[in-house]
Amino acid sequence: MLRLTDIHKSYRVGPTTVDVLKGISLAVEKGELLSIIGPSGSGKSTLMNIMGLLEQPTEGTYSIEETKITYDDDRTLSSLRNKMIGFVFQQYHLLPRLTAIDNIGLPLIYRGISEKEIMERSMEYIKKVEMQERSRHKPTELSGGQQQRIAIARALVGNPALILADEPTGALDTHTGQEIMNLFKRLNEEEGITIVVITHDPKIAAQCRRKVELRDGIISG
Amino acid sequence: MIIKANVKEALKSLVTAKQRTILALIGIVIGIGSVIGMVSIGTIVQNEALKQFRDMGIDIVSVTKDYERQGADEGFNIEHIYGLPDYSPLIKKVSPYIVSSTQYSYADKDFYIEIMGVSESFFDLNKLYVREGRLLSDLDRNRSFCVIGAETADILQKAGVKDILDRQFLFGERIYTVVGILKKLPEGGGMRPSGINRAVLTHITTAMRSFTTNDITTFMARVSAQDSKTAKTAIENYFGKKASGLSVRVRTAEELIAQMQKQIQLFTLLLGAIGSIALIVGGIGVMNVMLISVTERRKEIGIRRALGAQRSDIETQFIIESVTLCFVGGIIGIILGIIISYFFSHFSKWEFLISQSAIVLGFCVATAVGVFFGYYPARSASHLDPAAALRE
Ligand SMILES: Nc1ncnc2c1ncn2[C@@H]1O[C@H](COP(=O)(O)OP(=O)(O)OP(=O)(O)O)[C@@H](O)[C@H]1O
Ligand SMILES: [Mg+2]
Repeated sequence: MLRLTDIHKSYRVGPTTVDVLKGISLAVEKGELLSIIGPSGSGKSTLMNIMGLLEQPTEGTYSIEETKITYDDDRTLSSLRNKMIGFVFQQYHLLPRLTAIDNIGLPLIYRGISEKEIMERSMEYIKKVEMQERSRHKPTELSGGQQQRIAIARALVGNPALILADEPTGALDTHTGQEIMNLFKRLNEEEGITIVVITHDPKIAAQCRRKVELRDGIISG
Repeated sequence: MIIKANVKEALKSLVTAKQRTILALIGIVIGIGSVIGMVSIGTIVQNEALKQFRDMGIDIVSVTKDYERQGADEGFNIEHIYGLPDYSPLIKKVSPYIVSSTQYSYADKDFYIEIMGVSESFFDLNKLYVREGRLLSDLDRNRSFCVIGAETADILQKAGVKDILDRQFLFGERIYTVVGILKKLPEGGGMRPSGINRAVLTHITTAMRSFTTNDITTFMARVSAQDSKTAKTAIENYFGKKASGLSVRVRTAEELIAQMQKQIQLFTLLLGAIGSIALIVGGIGVMNVMLISVTERRKEIGIRRALGAQRSDIETQFIIESVTLCFVGGIIGIILGIIISYFFSHFSKWEFLISQSAIVLGFCVATAVGVFFGYYPARSASHLDPAAALRE
């Protein structure tokens, strides 16, 4: 489904360049539950941004479903993100001014769907993460675990083929983190959604069927 | 849904009383207010000019003795005035009149009243009609008959006088019998002498006998409409010959309209200048507000982009926000502009009008300012790097 070939990414910082990713080749198959593990600063988030089309690699090619990404048209990239990919972040990244239910519907407003249908689908997904009792709450009125559930519902609402989760349990205690992981496992098994979980927690990584280790910008295991 | 959410967002930033938002809006309010005021006042004057044509025609001139010249103590000789139509065929009709003010007392109350001495032609030239009774004619020469203005009739009625018609009143030194009540005239009738509504009109011969000063300082004339300029010269030449030393000032309807337009020119210019400057200042204020809003909401922009918002979606979002802000300023500005033009018409005694096109223009200008000054912030928002924004 995803194919990264010899991906390099470097940033210019003043006069010097920092090489973050130094030749990553990785294939993710449909229906996989994959974890990417590695120490802080190893380039995990950078890799996820590239997989999520939020950043362009300095070198290398990236294909989604056999189609090579060309990065020349922002509209194509935005549309792919909107329809193919669901993001889950460590800091949840919900919009503070919107209610839980409106946060969930956010990806759909960029599809030109009617307000009524957006509401119906948001309701469907808030039930899926068992948060329907909190639909009118603002993010600040929810616990971390609850916010992350809303964020997962938001990632799912557009019916994407791929979920990219960057340390989804990083801000949660072990118990709540485990609940989120169970949710991912269930979605992967029951609905066949491809999920990539980035983590630096070996216990989380161990629960995934495949584990990739990133160290200093290259895949080491 | 997108639009509704964006409008809400803009109003929220306004309601949370961000001082800088309110400051920026003051500029927009003053700017739009001036523009609306400018256009409305233009419309009011235009209407007034049209009314001049409609009410009295453009063939009326008003002739005044020139007070600034020598020998100005004397007024016109009435015989000279009556001789004008024979002198030039361009002058169709003349109507001399004199005015004196006096007090009228009734039931221990005093009223200020103007007595006008007029001839039969005065009613025709000024398009005066009776509500009750009859007009004066030249057969009323030297007789104590009078016609009263609509407001004078109201004053008398309020004071408790019943059956005004055919009743006798002591106005000034003389007892007059009221033979007619005039229809009410609109305010400011261009060439028409002011105050007819509050006047008592008697025949000029009667008035000249009873007034202490009976100099005729003004008369009106109907001239050939096509040749009002030539007629003006003819009148000037005539009095130059008949009464050396007396110089006259002739005002035509065209000149009156031109003068009205000149009167407002400075005013509209001033409003236009204030308006443009205020709009630029306000627009820059709005741009500043929007730039700050973009900076504060970098993360939100990053999230929206990650969820699939196109650059154009983000751009639209911020433009709608900026237009909403300007629209709020625009609404208040339109109200301000209407107030300005109301006071203008109040003090110039011209009929007040709310110009619909001015209101439409106000909303257009507000939208244009919002789009113009919102464009740069919106564009920079749409070009934000989402990955960098999400890392923060
Ligand atoms: N925009 C940027 N400009 C310069 N350097 C950057 C930029 N983004 C990331 N980096 C650097 O790239 C390296 C990898 O960052 P990244 O966020 O991918 O690490 P990570 O593995 O996700 O770490 P963590 O576990 O702490 O989240 C870091 O050294 C970081 O400083
Ligand atoms: Mg990271």
